Amino acid sequence: MNNIALGRYLPLTSIIHNMDPRAKIGAMLLMMVAIFIPAGYTGYIIIGIAVVLTALLAKLKLSFLWRAMKPMLFMLSFLLIINLLVVRSGDVLITIGSWNIYTDALTQTLYIVIRLALMIMITTILTATTKPLELTLGIEDLLKPFKVIGVPAHDIAMMISIALRFIPTLIEETQRIMKAQASRGVDMENGKLMEKVKAILSLIVPLFVSAFQRAEELAYAMEARGYIPSRPRTRYKQLKMHGKDVALLLLSVLILVGMIVLSMTDLGFF
Amino acid sequence: MSITFKNVAHTYNEGSPFSYAALKNINLNIPEGKVTAVIGETGSGKTTLVQHLNALLLPSEGELEVLGKNIVAKEKPKNLKALRKQVGLVFQFPEYQLFEETIAKDIAFGPKNFGASEEEALEVVKKVINVVGLDESYLERSPFDLSGGQKRRIAIAGILAMDPGVLVLDEPTAGLDPQGAKDMMELFLRMNREFHKTVLIVTHDMEHVLHYCDEVIVVKDGQIEKQCDVKEFFRSVALLKELRINPPAIIRLREELIAQGFHIASSILDLDELAQAVAKEVRSHE
Repeated sequence: MNNIALGRYLPLTSIIHNMDPRAKIGAMLLMMVAIFIPAGYTGYIIIGIAVVLTALLAKLKLSFLWRAMKPMLFMLSFLLIINLLVVRSGDVLITIGSWNIYTDALTQTLYIVIRLALMIMITTILTATTKPLELTLGIEDLLKPFKVIGVPAHDIAMMISIALRFIPTLIEETQRIMKAQASRGVDMENGKLMEKVKAILSLIVPLFVSAFQRAEELAYAMEARGYIPSRPRTRYKQLKMHGKDVALLLLSVLILVGMIVLSMTDLGFF
Repeated sequence: MSITFKNVAHTYNEGSPFSYAALKNINLNIPEGKVTAVIGETGSGKTTLVQHLNALLLPSEGELEVLGKNIVAKEKPKNLKALRKQVGLVFQFPEYQLFEETIAKDIAFGPKNFGASEEEALEVVKKVINVVGLDESYLERSPFDLSGGQKRRIAIAGILAMDPGVLVLDEPTAGLDPQGAKDMMELFLRMNREFHKTVLIVTHDMEHVLHYCDEVIVVKDGQIEKQCDVKEFFRSVALLKELRINPPAIIRLREELIAQGFHIASSILDLDELAQAVAKEVRSHE
């Protein structure tokens, strides 16, 4: 459980860590859009360099980014296989038995792999350098303009921060109940299908019961302290945009514009 | 046939930056057929220690022998199921492990996992529900309708139904009212005296240790600080002080009397005996 790199906050001190979460989320969104603009390999190289430089600025080890991507390897190999079977354009690369493998299958897979890898790297940098609580503050602020059309920005942010807060608690609870049921002879790994279903049931039901109970108690505790979601609230932590935050956003916009220009000229495809 | 730890160590998250040595070089022999208390401060490693007894946790180093079965570091234990049946482990707040629709089904869950037939399990269920102080009218009710204390009884009944030779309880009285806690401790004492089970109780309550236990194991910083007979344990107040243990009321009274000049044997652990000793002392001065 402790080896998961995806989505984990790393408490370091760097210029990226100190940036405003709103700027970081904004930059992430801009980069996500940029990734999906077909600007060829030149574009991906530019974005790749930008991402790696940001990671280095954030004092993240590249091996950490690699570990964050590992869970995706299965999906990527799955994609490769599907593409090899389905795509039938371009030149024939190799023939295995009666099956032809086309060049386009490889290039398309490569594109998807690069896009996914870049996206995971960017989100990993965001979550690794931003405390979950700051992240939710940022999301709340960014959602504020949508209040006009009835988006409950504060409620959403509160829900996210409560969910984040209880993830470790639930993991602990799961491990505890698994052990308790193992003491009663449950074998989570071996056994027939029916036994497995029963084993999972013996874990899920108590987990739900305690999660609901916890939720109820938390709701009472919040109400007892006068929490009303619709009321205006002050904040202990005030978010402030500084020069570096504006610079980050401007750079992201610049990259996005660059990608658009590259995609419209033939420069991007070599 | 007993429970023996040989140089057992346990490290959580070994080899990662979060690694934490919870147990260090434990050598221990837990006597069979007795009620043994495991005491120690929060975080001293008591729970980690008892979770080794049915191989929920495996030692990082060393080995232990539980009722003739060996558990060796870094080896997958054989006969895991037989071991889990032999050592019934009741977790802290066991009421959170109930999940079946009816109490009868929940209690029968353990026995059936260990291969009992439907009829055998039902027979056992009827027996243990009475042992834990509830009656058969409860069997068809949902376990989620009961009070906290009753739920805990059902959860303990679920372990007793497995008929383990060793019963391990991790803070079984936490959160119960004094009467509920007393009933609970009396149940465990009865499991030992009447059904001859080896009982191991992790507890913070020194009154319980004094009144219901035969042996004491003190865990401190992942090591065994002391193991001895309960009577001997409460004789030396200096040791209790050193271990930062608040002695039971009767011991505090005894020590206060001795400090005030009464000549009373420090082996007295019982209120009647203490009263008699005081009366004798008073009479000798009249």
